[in-house]
Amino acid sequence: MDPDTAIGGPHGHLPSTQVSLLEAAAAGMPHDALERLIALYWKPVYRFIRFRFRKDNEDAKDLTQSFFTSALEREFFARFDPAKASFRTYLRMAVERFAANQHAAAGRQKRGGDVQFEPLDEHSAAAESPDAIFEREWRRQLFVLAIEDLRAHCAASGKEQQFRIFEAYDLAGAPRPSYAALAAEHGIPETSVTNHLAWARRMLRGFVAERLRGVTSGERELREEMRRVWT
Amino acid sequence: MDLSDSVLDHLRHMAALPDVSGTRYELEREIGRGGMGVVYAARDRDLDRRVALKVMEAELAGEARLIARLEHPSIVPIHETGRLPDGRVFYAMKLVVGVRLDHYLARSPSLAERLRVIRRAGEALAYAHTTGVIHRDLKPQNVMVGEFGEVYVMDWGVEAVAGTPGFRAPETPLDRRSDIYALGALLEFVLPADGPPALRAVAAKARRPDPADRYPDVGALLADIERFQEGLAVEAWAEPWRHRLVRFAARNAVLLWLLAAYAGVKLVLFFLRNL
Repeated sequence: MDPDTAIGGPHGHLPSTQVSLLEAAAAGMPHDALERLIALYWKPVYRFIRFRFRKDNEDAKDLTQSFFTSALEREFFARFDPAKASFRTYLRMAVERFAANQHAAAGRQKRGGDVQFEPLDEHSAAAESPDAIFEREWRRQLFVLAIEDLRAHCAASGKEQQFRIFEAYDLAGAPRPSYAALAAEHGIPETSVTNHLAWARRMLRGFVAERLRGVTSGERELREEMRRVWT
Repeated sequence: MDLSDSVLDHLRHMAALPDVSGTRYELEREIGRGGMGVVYAARDRDLDRRVALKVMEAELAGEARLIARLEHPSIVPIHETGRLPDGRVFYAMKLVVGVRLDHYLARSPSLAERLRVIRRAGEALAYAHTTGVIHRDLKPQNVMVGEFGEVYVMDWGVEAVAGTPGFRAPETPLDRRSDIYALGALLEFVLPADGPPALRAVAAKARRPDPADRYPDVGALLADIERFQEGLAVEAWAEPWRHRLVRFAARNAVLLWLLAAYAGVKLVLFFLRNL
């Protein structure tokens, strides 16, 4: 299967939606809130479409882009009712409906010979359900964004060393360096390494909460989403 | 940035661990996890004793204050509440050594013992209701039986708790009558397969869909259980004659034996006189 798109990551550029975000703002959602929301959900939606409808990279990107464009046009965000479901669930169900319609339309065209579907290889047809993939990607994207917030915060507040230690230990795959090795590398006591790590994790947790607060409808939904992130 | 699954899991685990370095506690291990927070076994360095430390989001700080108000032998006492550097709140409480009610039942305790646990749990509820606190999520997993037979009702709820299917009353919002529903479900849960119909009727009355049809308070439910244990008719059940006779016989067994013996002696004397 061809590799995933790099779009959606913090250093990647989110595709600009064709409809002005001001329209969504006019529907009751502030521009920056909408941007944060798309930053968090673009990649999970893309991955969900890829695996649920077995699309190749380009088709999945186009469908994801179409979904968000359509959502903005139809004041999708303004219609969300927090009493019925979490926004994450609402969005995932809407993606499914949208992509299923598009998929069916493409199928009709295919019978006319216009569209080619990429076969899905064995690896991508893993046992994990598309719903589970959506939630896992949502969680991953949430942490990616929170880590970027932490990086920016460290750079702005002269705490680059704290971030470097966090990066070298917590963001490294196994085997991780020992605290002693990190202390020697940075010329600081071992206790400072553990203190820096504790500080960075604490800040990371705060940034995760902040990101979630920006895309949830209230305290109750925020608590539920926090529970899903940490348990 | 690309986060692998293993790095993501590591981050979630490490960032979730509470930073207790500024407190008197040392974490030992996680012992429980639920919607309301995570519970750790910990050591209180100052008093050199083990405690349970429950850590939850700041929004739930009200729970700690609410529970700290409750003082009852069947409610776990809170030693201290505090706030972690990341804003989460915690409370330190007695570390109960025991088993959950659902596990306790696997030891096949007697009916009297099962009812004792229900009565202790009910007494804790009745007390809490007098202070305006409701549990909201009473279920076997939230009742602990200690190694000396003590009974504790754990995890007192706050607004966020939605209850557990099978134990949650149908009405919204939950109130005192909803706790009565859950206590009825708990009674039904602890009854053995051949449990007495009178007790099943008590459980059924507590679980009626309309809160107005249930017992008016926990005390009334407990009184009905007590009546059963004393061999009296329970309010919840229109008892058939056959059951009433059997219950009367069981309750007055000594008197009936004496009467039978008296009748027997009189009969023997009657025959002896007529020989």
